[in-house]
Amino acid sequence: MFGKAGKAAAIAAIAALALTACGRSDTGTTGSSSGGEAFPKDSAIGVALPKKTSENWVLAEKLFNDGLTSAGFKPTVQFANNGVAEQQNQISAMISKGAKVIIVGALDGSQLGTQLQQAKDAGATIIAYDRLLLNTANVDYYVAYDNFKVGVLQGQALLDGMKAKKPSGPYNIELLAGSPDDANAKVFFDGAMSVLKPKIDDGTLKVLSGQTSFEKAVTQDWKAENAQRRMDTLLTGSYGTAPLDGVLSPNDTLARAVITSVKAAGKPLPVITGQDSEELSVKSILAGEQYSTINKDTRKLVEHAIVMVKDLQAGKKPEINDDKSYNNTVKTVPAFLLPPVIVTKDNVKTAYVDDPVLGPLTK
Amino acid sequence: MTVPTTQTDPVILEMRSITKEFPGVKALSEVSLRVKAGEIHAICGENGAGKSTLMKVLSGVYPYGSYDGDIVYQNEIQQFRDIRASEHAGIAIIHQELALIPELSIMENIFLGNEPTKRGVIDWAEARLRSTELLARVGLRENPDTAIKEIGVGKQQLVEIAKALNKSVKILILDEPTAALNESDSQHLLDLILGLKGRGITSIIISHKLNEIEQIADSITIIRDGKSIETLDVKADGVDEDRIIKGMVGRTLESRFPDHTPKIGEVFFEVKNWNVAHPQIQDRMVCKNSSFFVRRGEIVGFAGLMGAGRTELARSVFGRSYGHFVSGQVYKNGKELTLRSVHQAIDAGLGYVTEDRKSLGLNLLDDIKTTTVSANLEKISKRSVVDTDKEFAVAEHYRKSLRTKAPSVQEGVAKLSGGNQQKVVLAKWMFTDPELLILDEPTRGIDVGAKFEIYGIIQELANQGKGVIVISSELPELLGLSDRIYTIFEGTITGVLDKEEASQEALMKLMTSTRKAA
Amino acid sequence: MNALKKLFGGDTRQFGMIFALVALIVLFQWLTGGITLTPGNVINLFNGNSYILILAIGMVLVIIAGHIDLSVGSVAAFVGMVVAIAMRDWGIPWYLGILLGLGLGALIGAWQGMWTAYVGIPAFIVTLAGMLIFRGAQQFVGQSNSIPVPRSFQYIGAGYLPEVGPSTGYNNLTLLIGLAAVVYVVFSEVRRRRAAKALGAEVAETWVVVLKLVLICAAILYATYLFATGRPGTSFPIPGLILAVMVLIYGFISSKTVVGRHIYAVGGNRHAAELSGVKSKKINFLVMMNMSIIAGLAGMIFVARSTSAGPSDGTGWELDAIAAVFIGGAAVTGGVGTVIGSIVGGLVMAVLNNGLQLLSVGADWQSMIKGLVLLVAVAIDVYNKSQGRASIIGLMMKNFSRPSGGPGTPLQPDEVTSTKETISREA
Repeated sequence: MFGKAGKAAAIAAIAALALTACGRSDTGTTGSSSGGEAFPKDSAIGVALPKKTSENWVLAEKLFNDGLTSAGFKPTVQFANNGVAEQQNQISAMISKGAKVIIVGALDGSQLGTQLQQAKDAGATIIAYDRLLLNTANVDYYVAYDNFKVGVLQGQALLDGMKAKKPSGPYNIELLAGSPDDANAKVFFDGAMSVLKPKIDDGTLKVLSGQTSFEKAVTQDWKAENAQRRMDTLLTGSYGTAPLDGVLSPNDTLARAVITSVKAAGKPLPVITGQDSEELSVKSILAGEQYSTINKDTRKLVEHAIVMVKDLQAGKKPEINDDKSYNNTVKTVPAFLLPPVIVTKDNVKTAYVDDPVLGPLTK
Repeated sequence: MTVPTTQTDPVILEMRSITKEFPGVKALSEVSLRVKAGEIHAICGENGAGKSTLMKVLSGVYPYGSYDGDIVYQNEIQQFRDIRASEHAGIAIIHQELALIPELSIMENIFLGNEPTKRGVIDWAEARLRSTELLARVGLRENPDTAIKEIGVGKQQLVEIAKALNKSVKILILDEPTAALNESDSQHLLDLILGLKGRGITSIIISHKLNEIEQIADSITIIRDGKSIETLDVKADGVDEDRIIKGMVGRTLESRFPDHTPKIGEVFFEVKNWNVAHPQIQDRMVCKNSSFFVRRGEIVGFAGLMGAGRTELARSVFGRSYGHFVSGQVYKNGKELTLRSVHQAIDAGLGYVTEDRKSLGLNLLDDIKTTTVSANLEKISKRSVVDTDKEFAVAEHYRKSLRTKAPSVQEGVAKLSGGNQQKVVLAKWMFTDPELLILDEPTRGIDVGAKFEIYGIIQELANQGKGVIVISSELPELLGLSDRIYTIFEGTITGVLDKEEASQEALMKLMTSTRKAA
Repeated sequence: MNALKKLFGGDTRQFGMIFALVALIVLFQWLTGGITLTPGNVINLFNGNSYILILAIGMVLVIIAGHIDLSVGSVAAFVGMVVAIAMRDWGIPWYLGILLGLGLGALIGAWQGMWTAYVGIPAFIVTLAGMLIFRGAQQFVGQSNSIPVPRSFQYIGAGYLPEVGPSTGYNNLTLLIGLAAVVYVVFSEVRRRRAAKALGAEVAETWVVVLKLVLICAAILYATYLFATGRPGTSFPIPGLILAVMVLIYGFISSKTVVGRHIYAVGGNRHAAELSGVKSKKINFLVMMNMSIIAGLAGMIFVARSTSAGPSDGTGWELDAIAAVFIGGAAVTGGVGTVIGSIVGGLVMAVLNNGLQLLSVGADWQSMIKGLVLLVAVAIDVYNKSQGRASIIGLMMKNFSRPSGGPGTPLQPDEVTSTKETISREA
């Protein structure tokens, strides 16, 4: 009797498959869509952003949502607060939803290869946003501020600031870098070091802790607490008596962590750089604590990313202004770079005139 | 709400038609209980009859609403939501498993959850004063600051009672209070309960030790299969042990021990000059120069007071599962054995049934069949893969041959009564086919009917030519069962008596002195 | 209703967790407008969660034995990183890389097992230390950089079955696997029924069994259909295949072997197990070592999927794996839990994750929802136990893991008259 049941099941199985005779649906529209084919105006657009760790990312989320929606698209904007694995799954989900363009602010630019391949196979265009995607052929465009330039500006600001306080060297400085899993962190650092390294070599600048390499200066996950802990240790270790004249900080969050640490140690504030124009740091600059920040207006960057999406939708090739600097080890990614602006107390009032949030602060 | 009492007797507590159901099981069905103020009321019944369930209903462990029937206490229907509510009303329960915290002191335990405070801060001076007073009332001479783990079970029992007295208890429920106590501690406890009666405290006692019940109880309610059978007035009805047993099992037991003609063979197992040190305290010896032997087909008793070193001796022989081995030899069939692990001991044909069934004998998460095969998985396995069909068959075989009461072998062992749990443990060891089986307190916490069956199993094992060692605190049990009895005192074997020469007095003498008998 | 009861052995609650999973899938299928059950998404679901599910297999054994392992994320990351570096710098082929990874996992596991089993330090402490040690070691050897892995290695994390045989419009190997699963399910049920009958146990009515089999087979066939009809070049994914093999192996070990029984025994009551001749230290050692080997495997699969090993790989994985195990009905105190249960628990989390992502729910809300689901799932289980009812999940899983006379067919002792197996020794 059971043989019968088994046979019945087997027959049912075969019948089930036979009935759905069509088999796989042919969804694989062929590969490259970098320009050329237009797609419907109400298509899904995916935006995968990294961890929600700074104001800029929160702002970007809102801008992407508003901007893409008002252009008629159906946006999905998501943060990967729980790590790379989450971002991978988010991108997969965007592909499932049929996103035509996926904008990726990568948590770790080299760990998304499989998903980007999937996206490509499904016919989506990929735009690397703010952070370059590495080790993959499946990235079509890169839109960002010129990050090396950011570093250069930070390095220069550090020198200028210290010179204004104390006309001649030598100056004691310490270096902070960003998170090692963010491809930009090294670019910032290299940019700054292109200005600072010669001065360290000729003795104008002294790093008393001796920690001058990127690996030693990193701040895991861009976390303020990690920066503060390292700064605390440096201050007690190397600056018991010696004065600290300047700190290279790659962004505002870390800059404020440094300020907290120095204040707690009861030392006079050194010249501290920053980046991102966060509200608290702009106030800090106005109050004369943090020395500088970088204005990389998120509005402009998001705006441009959306322009690219619109171009792609219309079947146009998006505008680029750099097609040789950004090699991700597999290909040179066509990029559109926006110029960063350094902001110190001197130009803080003019820099944010157009900014609805920061503008009123400086008045 | 006040309820008129139907009788003129000062009834302090009446439980009316209590019915309590668990999914699939009716644990109590229309059970009634009337307890007069100031009496000692015993509840008797076989394990699984529903005694503990009834007391859990009374003390609020099973809250109002989860059972049917009424609890009338001091002329009012009570609706206890939890234990605190019943305690608040003056009903305290002392469970078989004591609810004391080993790391805390006597004083801290007495006042746990009931700390005397002054402006929110514990008033330890007051606590000390009151605990000294309470300890005097229960006759315990110990410093209140002594940690619970440092005093024996008998004294812990007294601390529990002191804790209850501190809550100005009116009814004290004691669930198997003497199960883990030796003779003198038991007597002390019984005297204390009688003393409390003199102070007007009503006690309800659940016990399997019928001689004790006969000694102190005023009335006895007998429960069988979840129903209240009868209530006896000890003095008026002239109740004795046999009468109680008759009520409990529904028939008279002609004999407490099955008939047995021993078929004793040659000596096959021998332990010589066995010395073992305490596991933590290296220079304290728990076994001193002990030597003994067992013949085929022989039931050998080990008598001794609690803490005399009986269990320690047995477990150290059983693959050194207790203490630090110092010296000594084990011979089986004339050949010396080295048993470094339990595994080796089992392979050599030894089995050990622990006295502490719940914490050392059973995995309470397992079902009957898993437990039955757990000490000899190899036998039903091929290349390390367990044959679950064989497992089922084996368990079913033992369930039937030992008459274990369970709906199926898939029943969890936690749901079985003590006697049936013990049968499962016995089945587990019988399945290892041991040549020597050591039974440590095999009938502890087991009711009369099941005891009889377990004695039968033990005798049957001996008849098959196996050696059996029985360790027991109950001398009548040893006298009724054993062919030969060793006595142990403070880690030393102080004597050995044949069945014919053994008596309670002779054993007691040897159990309490270091003098070596001839 | 009566029919349902018969179908699930008198207690529909037994299948609560699977119902929850099915309900969740149906709910999301509706909410997402049919995207949930598309070939692409189902493949993603397995690809994106297989490493967590694989970790859960090791974790459930650890938890059954009464321990916990907090180091799995770090160990996975460390192994993944070392393997990536070995392949890049020493140029070893992918299969040697995998062997190296498993070996390294075994070594790490032996280290942690030694401390836990033989020195007697609680696993919580040992693995907390391990979590720090191997996270640091990973960043040290990788110098906090991302290390790419070769294409051949990526196969284990992102690969598909090849296309073989005639062009049927389906992935043929996937079809074969699906049919094999159906045949296996049918035959094992038949075998179990025969054994139960031979033992004299009562068996369920034929129509009940047939209906049950039809339902299960239909589910398998539908899944097969989904997997076989994805984009050309895709199939049942390789990580899913590895997972399936692991489930079969470990499901078998845990329920059918002596070692498996000993793990349950040690976790349920270590002293009782020891007095029954179980070498509890050895069991603890093996369980901890096994966990690290599995962590190594999970780490490699993730690296293969990510195309490179990165400095923050594996963060928080231990919590995902532990959550899956507890949703799957394991007890914090040990002795209870099943491999299949943990997989179902992990799938509940995975489907929840995936569905919320498809609905564009933010990571903040996802985290809150997942936390609540964990709490509610375990609370229902605890509530049922406290009510004297059998644990939903535990009971249900028991049917899967320790087959005995067939699920849902309580044996009637009185009807058992004879046993085929005779035991020579009489009591």
